[in-house]
Formats: sequence, C-alpha cells, structure tokens
Amino acid sequence: MIILAIVIGCILGVILGINAPTISYIYSDYLAISIVAALDSVFGGITATLKNNFDFKIFVTGFFGNAILSILLAFLGNKLNVDIYLAAIVVFVGRMFNNLTIIRRFYLEKWTQMKAKKAEIAKEQSKE
Amino acid sequence: MSKSKIAVAITIGIMSFMMIYVMLIQISIASDDDREEIEFLRETELKDLLASYKERYEETNEKIVEAKNKIDEYEKDEKSEEDTVALLEEEVKQAKMLLGYTDVVGEGVIVTMENNVIYGEEESAIVRASDLIELINELKLAGAEAISINDERIISRTDIFDVVPPLIHINGQRKASPFVIKAIGDINYLESALKIKGGFIDSYTLNNYKISIESKQEITINKYEGELTLNYINKEEVKK
Repeated sequence: MIILAIVIGCILGVILGINAPTISYIYSDYLAISIVAALDSVFGGITATLKNNFDFKIFVTGFFGNAILSILLAFLGNKLNVDIYLAAIVVFVGRMFNNLTIIRRFYLEKWTQMKAKKAEIAKEQSKE
Repeated sequence: MSKSKIAVAITIGIMSFMMIYVMLIQISIASDDDREEIEFLRETELKDLLASYKERYEETNEKIVEAKNKIDEYEKDEKSEEDTVALLEEEVKQAKMLLGYTDVVGEGVIVTMENNVIYGEEESAIVRASDLIELINELKLAGAEAISINDERIISRTDIFDVVPPLIHINGQRKASPFVIKAIGDINYLESALKIKGGFIDSYTLNNYKISIESKQEITINKYEGELTLNYINKEEVKK
C-alpha cells in the first residue's frame, strides 16, 4: 500500500514536473535547500524504521518543517548577506551521510549473520 | 485496511510527489541557459555567460555585415526600384528619428536631479553642466537611443554649459533645477548602468544630491526644436 502510494506520487511528480513552469533563478537556492532538507528527512525516516522507533508524525513534521525552516533561514541569510544556506546544506548532508552509514551497517550485519547461519547449517549437515 | 493506514499512504504519496516535483523544477532551473539575474551568479558562471555573450556578439556582427552587403546590393540594383525606394524611405525615417527631428516613444528611464541647497552649509549640492554631461555620457554608454533634458532633445550639436549657476544652458535655452532627464533604451542596461555600486547615482547621492530614477515602458521624448543648417560644410560627398 505505502509502496504503491510512493510509486504513484513519483509518477505524478515526474509527469507534472516535466511540464512545470520555470521559476526565476533567484529562487534556485531555496528550492535546492528544501530538497536537501526533505531528502534528509527521508533518510532519517528509513534509519528510524530500522531502529524500530519510527514515528509517522515526527516524520511528516520533519519533512515539511525542515524544508520550510531551511528556506526561511536561507532567506534570512540572503538578507543578512551571510551564506546560511551553505551551513544548512553542510548540516543536512552530514546527517544524511550519518543515516546512510547506519543503514549500511544494519544491512551489512544482517548479511553477515545470514552467512554465518548458512555456514552453521552446512556444517551440521556435513557432520550428519 | 484501517483508515489510519490509508491516511499514512496518502500522505507519503503526496510527500513523494512534492519532492519529485520540486526536484524537477530545480533541475530545469539549473539547466536553464536564459539566466538574467546576473547579481546572483557566481564568478565561474559569470565567466561562462560572458564567453557565450561574446560568441553571440560575434555572430550578430557577422549578421550586420551580411545585412550591410544586402543594402549595398539593393542600392546598386536598379531593377528593384520599389524596394530601393521603400528602403531609402525607411532609412530617412530612422535617420530623422536619430537626428531628433521627430518625437519618439519607447521604453526607458527618467532620472530626476535636483539642487539640494542647504542654507548656511557649504555642502549644498548644485547641479552643474558637467554633472549633466557625465549623466548623458553614462546613458549613451548604456545604449540610450534618445535623450532629453527638461524636454530639450540632446542631439549631436547640443551645447550644455553653466551660465550663472544654478542656471544651465541647453540647446541655447536656460534651464533650471529640477532637471528631468529622459532616455529611451533598454531599461535593464540603463538602470543597471546608473544604479551599479559606486556608479552615478551612488556617488551623487553620497554628495547630497537629490536624485531619483524611474523606469517606464513608454516614454515620449520631444523633437529638437531648433534648426540644423549646413553653412560651412561642403554639400558634396567626400570621395575616398
């Protein structure tokens, strides 16, 4: 069900996104940072699922809240002539890498455990 | 299937839709060549842009040469007399507009400069002829096609000089503050040429001048009121 929803959303996004109106280059910084923030939330959600403490409300509020807050911060930075959006990107991408590391370790451990189990089973079978 | 699960699925679907949608918009922005907001570009991007503009410039130059050759052909060709007449008429019309014989309309900017007299202080700013000449030169550099000061058309033979300050002679007429300078040309070029950091408006507002700029889609510039006569130039063309 959820996977179906994701697929439908992605297909709709591609169809509408290709025909989307082009927006002025000024806003590209803000869009980019909101995308990075949303991606960060997605990876955070996956990590939380693996750790078994996934909370849907936290996920949704993080997804939209982070995107909007990062846009506001970038806007403020633009007004103050400080590249705050760079700092936000560093934080978000850093967190994304952290989450990716956790995901990778989780699956690596699973894989090694599976291999070990198989090897044990094979040993027992050969003994018999 | 419970209601909450459906809600979760719909929310996630909407979220993925939004993300992909925004991503595609961003990609289309990033790959868009028609970028005009130069202020927001990085140095390397500016260099790229400059290079592409140089290429375009060269291309356009070639086209100009081609067009000139065509005009030469028309002028030589006796068969297409009607074309030649139309072409010549068009040329005469344009030449008159450029000379200032006709009122012209177009997009452009209006700059207003005013004396800022502060009694009892030495720092009062009075607009001088040299200031106006500087402004006109800036406008011409930015590609202005027609300029007027207080409705006096600036042409090739315009004189601008100080009489008794604060009066200024323009085209033989005495003009006083406020000076309204109208210029027809590309709004972007004209505005940015004047508004650039350390540019004309910056330096003059620093020196206490009252100066304002306003861009309009339609500006009317009056024709030159005087008469242009040739008394000393031989009317025959100089043969090379």
